[in-house]
Amino acid sequence: MSLIDEDEALIAAALNGSAFAWEKLVKRYESKIYNHGLRLMGNSSDAMDLMQEVFLGVYRNLHRFRGDARFSSWIFRIAHNKAVDLNRKKRLLAGYPVDSDNEGDVFDSFADEEGEEPELELLQSEQNRNIMAMLNILPFEQRLIVELKVFQSLTFEEIAEMQDISENTAKTRFYTALRKLKSVTEEYHVLS
Amino acid sequence: MSCPKTPHILQEYLADDLTPLAKEEIDKHLLQCEHCASELEVLMLTQSQLANWQAERVPHWDRGMELFRREHRVGKQSSSWFSAWQWMPTAASFAMLCLLIFNTSVEVGDGGFSVSFGSPVSDMDAALAAFEQEQRTEIDSMIARFESRQDTNNLQLMQAVMSQTQQATVENLDQIYAYFEEQRRQDMQLMSQGYQQLADSDYATVQSLQELAQFVSFQGAR
Repeated sequence: MSLIDEDEALIAAALNGSAFAWEKLVKRYESKIYNHGLRLMGNSSDAMDLMQEVFLGVYRNLHRFRGDARFSSWIFRIAHNKAVDLNRKKRLLAGYPVDSDNEGDVFDSFADEEGEEPELELLQSEQNRNIMAMLNILPFEQRLIVELKVFQSLTFEEIAEMQDISENTAKTRFYTALRKLKSVTEEYHVLS
Repeated sequence: MSCPKTPHILQEYLADDLTPLAKEEIDKHLLQCEHCASELEVLMLTQSQLANWQAERVPHWDRGMELFRREHRVGKQSSSWFSAWQWMPTAASFAMLCLLIFNTSVEVGDGGFSVSFGSPVSDMDAALAAFEQEQRTEIDSMIARFESRQDTNNLQLMQAVMSQTQQATVENLDQIYAYFEEQRRQDMQLMSQGYQQLADSDYATVQSLQELAQFVSFQGAR
């Protein structure tokens, strides 16, 4: 049985009330969704909130899943929408305009021996801490493009359709994001 | 040394729908333009650096199991086959009541078992009468035995009491007689002493009268 068929079997069993099937389905995707949330939201508590919101959304809408698309695509679309909502709420609560870029000293976020952000200390590897710090300097929209392109391996066409933007806009945002990351890492390596 | 084509070239290079012809042109440009080539190299390096992400372990959470179980339990209560079992105690009580009302009896014999409703009344009455007669006879004989044993006991008890009482009465009478005899003897002594004193007193009185008469006669003589 392929993974896709197995997903569908688990969904059918969960819809019939099998708690075991539901748990197995969640276990299959929780790591991907949690790591997706970590990179997008920038800290573990928001990533946990996002993950719980995503699976709650999946649970509430499982009966609507028709199998036209792959379950993984469907769940990541839910995750994308929930991440956008969560980011908007966070910005509004913090009193920042929703579309404003992140500001502040980029290098404060990079891992070093003297001090790190508490949330980043929870991460397992220094490499992950550096990647998180890099992603955190990007505006949320660019971070989303990088996430979808680099980590989810979506095409620009799929990204454009998901974000309701043109394909060219998606390409430009991705290129701009990479340039920003490149300049930051170059500057960091020069200073260190 | 910058190149005006760099943004366009790199953006197109990163696109995933690059035609073979466009790719060939870009490759040609990259071979000629050092700036674009180094820019592309750094961008690819940055991209690969990001891709080195190692999956983080998910902190413990309940995976929505509580919500799932709660909602499915509530939703299934009305249609579950198990709900039929809720009527079992009531049905069992009703069955027991029917068995009692119809006086059902089950008899197991060599040829299997038989179920009958009600009971043979005449047989039951005869059995009851025989049982009653038997009980009466047994009670009567028991009473007779009890009476006889009780009489014997009473007689023995009375005899013992009487013999003890007679002996005690004789002893008491002897003691009373001795007492009275002693009292009589003491009274006789007292009376004797009293008479003696009375006699002595009378004698003294006579002497006094004689002396008084002598005194009077003497006074008269003078």
